[in-house]
Amino acid sequence: MYSQKVMEHFKNPHNLREIKNPDGIGKVGNPVCLIPSTKIHINNNLKEIEKINLNDKVLSHNGRYNEVIKKYKRKYSGNIIEIKNKLGKTLLTPEHEVLSVRVPKTWWFSLHRNKKKLPIIWHHADELERKDLIVYPILKEEKDVRFIEFPHAKKKFDFRSREIPKKIKINKDFLRLAGYYLAEGSLKDKVTKTYLSFTFNINEENLAQDVIDIAKKLFSINAYKKIKKERNTLVVTINNVFIVRLFKSLFGFGAKNKKIPDWMMLLPIEKQKSLIYGLWEGDGYFNMKKRAGYSTISYTLCQQIKMLLLRQGIIPSVYTEEEKITKGVKHKKAYRIHVGDRDSLKRLAKILNLKLEIDKPVSIDSWFDNNYLFVPITDVNKKGYSGFVHNLEVENSMSYTTESLAVHNCGDLMWVYIKVGKNKEGKEYIEDIGVKTFGCVAAIATSSMITELAKGKTLEEAKKITRDDIKDALDGLPPIKVHCSNLSADGLRKAIEDYESKKKAQK
Amino acid sequence: MKVYLDHGATTPVDKEVVKAMLPYFTKDFGNASSLHQFGQKAKEALENSREIIAKKLNAEPKEIVFTGSGSESDNLAIKGIAYANKDKGNHIITSKIEHPAILETCKALEKEGFGVTYLDVDEEGFISLEELKKSITNKTILVSIMHANNEIGTIEPIEEIGKICKEKKVYFHTDAVQSFTKVPIDVKKMNVDLISLSSHKIHGPKGVGALFIKNGTKIQKIIYGGHHENDKRAGTENIPGIVGFAKAAELANEEYISHMTKLRDALIKELEKIPNSQLNGPRGNKRLCNNANLSFHFIEGESALLRLDMKGIAVSTGSACSSQSLTPSHVLTAIGLKPEIAHGSLRFTLGRENTEKEIDYVLKVLPKVVEELREISPLTKR
Repeated sequence: MYSQKVMEHFKNPHNLREIKNPDGIGKVGNPVCLIPSTKIHINNNLKEIEKINLNDKVLSHNGRYNEVIKKYKRKYSGNIIEIKNKLGKTLLTPEHEVLSVRVPKTWWFSLHRNKKKLPIIWHHADELERKDLIVYPILKEEKDVRFIEFPHAKKKFDFRSREIPKKIKINKDFLRLAGYYLAEGSLKDKVTKTYLSFTFNINEENLAQDVIDIAKKLFSINAYKKIKKERNTLVVTINNVFIVRLFKSLFGFGAKNKKIPDWMMLLPIEKQKSLIYGLWEGDGYFNMKKRAGYSTISYTLCQQIKMLLLRQGIIPSVYTEEEKITKGVKHKKAYRIHVGDRDSLKRLAKILNLKLEIDKPVSIDSWFDNNYLFVPITDVNKKGYSGFVHNLEVENSMSYTTESLAVHNCGDLMWVYIKVGKNKEGKEYIEDIGVKTFGCVAAIATSSMITELAKGKTLEEAKKITRDDIKDALDGLPPIKVHCSNLSADGLRKAIEDYESKKKAQK
Repeated sequence: MKVYLDHGATTPVDKEVVKAMLPYFTKDFGNASSLHQFGQKAKEALENSREIIAKKLNAEPKEIVFTGSGSESDNLAIKGIAYANKDKGNHIITSKIEHPAILETCKALEKEGFGVTYLDVDEEGFISLEELKKSITNKTILVSIMHANNEIGTIEPIEEIGKICKEKKVYFHTDAVQSFTKVPIDVKKMNVDLISLSSHKIHGPKGVGALFIKNGTKIQKIIYGGHHENDKRAGTENIPGIVGFAKAAELANEEYISHMTKLRDALIKELEKIPNSQLNGPRGNKRLCNNANLSFHFIEGESALLRLDMKGIAVSTGSACSSQSLTPSHVLTAIGLKPEIAHGSLRFTLGRENTEKEIDYVLKVLPKVVEELREISPLTKR
């Protein structure tokens, strides 16, 4: 598995030692970091990384939720890489590893059948370019829930409220109603006014009737329909305190705070189709020729719908629309999901019971395999940043997912020590170098190799040593080890930076 | 010097076993399903072997089904029971430290609508009987708990689990691939309905396994074809392999167990003297007689493994660096080890041919390897 050169350096590593009183130290490996406001998928929700708690569960690259076991925070000043794709954007430090595919920019690899043969690897953020592919995990966990318990008791003198079943069936009807509520519903829970209402367009008679039928079937409760001509709407109201409380506890209230409960995100994908149906009939649109879309002002709900769609094999694009005023009407900040490629539209049409006849070409920029969605990077930007950066240590998988990509925390650790001298021309050069390494065979070999390559070089030359130089000098590394264990060039650069900043401070 | 301490992965085939197998490749090559003399000779060898394996378990010969591997036995047990008993329920109980052959099969069944409970284990790898009792519902059809763990050697309380399953009337399967011939198994005493076995872990050839299926157990086959193996597993029987498996089972005896136990205890005792090391899994007779698993802090397992290999010593590790997925062993994580401790784990699995001299050699080499790697590790505290 390892080249002979790697094994040689592993057997007899050079300069793997600490240097006393070094002129510069570069520490790399864990922790590598994301900036504070980056949102991480936890238990079905998205949370800013700085607000994540121990024991929160984050979505890992294997599509499962794993517990956060450690949090890191450190001061950082330097470059931050912003990576954008259809799903959103993430800002992270350059050495952070991103699950991705690097696509050679040649004609051959512009064909997606050839792209598909390229390996999925953890690449450093600063190696990625536009048109490389992000490999995004799809939530794999599945857990059916057939009933939920909803304990509730009538108040002593409450003669009016009709009771609803204490065990509520979670079937397709219920999920459709949930979808309608998340999209079009609102509730009032006050002593004088307690009701759940659904506001449809005046011509959505069929949806209004569906709500009425479901209320009757599931709760044996009558819902009432009212036409509001002046507003062009059709309002269905359920006047039952228990249903109101149930919906409030499950889905939150106020359009901005609506969300899907955790367990509902894990239901079998067949069942989730009904939820998507309800949502889409409510707040979505489907243009038979071009595209479908969904719009909400709840960020959480938008990200949850993204996850639901990914589970169905539908590729979403997520956009944020800033607050604006058009024709004198104030529009709140909104999140939009678009579905545009043919296969995704076909799948969505099937869920919505629509007959689709389009001759749109198949999208070739994004696709699914069994575990992941592959989406191209649309933009990469380098930005200066100064402030705190955060990282998480995650149980089992050592990885977690942001709104647009999956990142890994590296298990390897490397500390690079340098002594700086002056050569005959008066230039500063690396007089001595030592490395300490915790890691596998590849980590030890790359540590040893950097000392070989750097010793005697001027600081300017040494800064230019790249990860590829080290890899090549070792006659290559196994693909899976290339990025995880090849940290020594970063370490050296950090050690030099450390030396330079110390020198500056002395002046 | 070459020292093989990875018998949990596989074992060398015993010379006696090879000798017993040889005639069935050439002279007595018949198909056990054929009616002529060639076939009948093979049939005789097959049934003979079945009897030997059955005796080892205190079972009836017809309760033994030969398969292609331990993994196949696990698949047949879990899927076979699940499909055949769908009408009774759709719930399966297993543990978090099972072999992937169990865990992945369960995951596959989850996709088909079965519910699976994965029981937690304590820091030594034992399941809680209370927890098990609580998890059994009227929908539960199968409990599958391994006999001995392949990584940390924990021997689960099979008899007690069997009792609970019998009371609650659910099928009980145990994966005894690691424990067979190392821990006595008596199906009558243990109340087990299904047991998976494998040949190559007991100095038999690779490509042979067996599944004990108690009489009257409702099971559906997963490989279709002819009516081989009591109509439970189609495919022409691998006669030389099966003969070898039976011979290997016959050769195993108590003496080997006490020999390996002695070596194991010596190894653990000395390795624990290395500062900042820890034993993973239980001690004494609750641990498999040939398993020692230790973590050496501040170092990484793959590096240690290959350093030992350079000195001719073969072991294995639960470190993430040596796995394709870059995730540490699920067993070590389940017993609550931190990733960096799991990273530094080494597993030594002894065999009957290992000698005291070999152990002495390992004890001479290993501390040096650990010291060397700690020397270059930034985590080492001084």
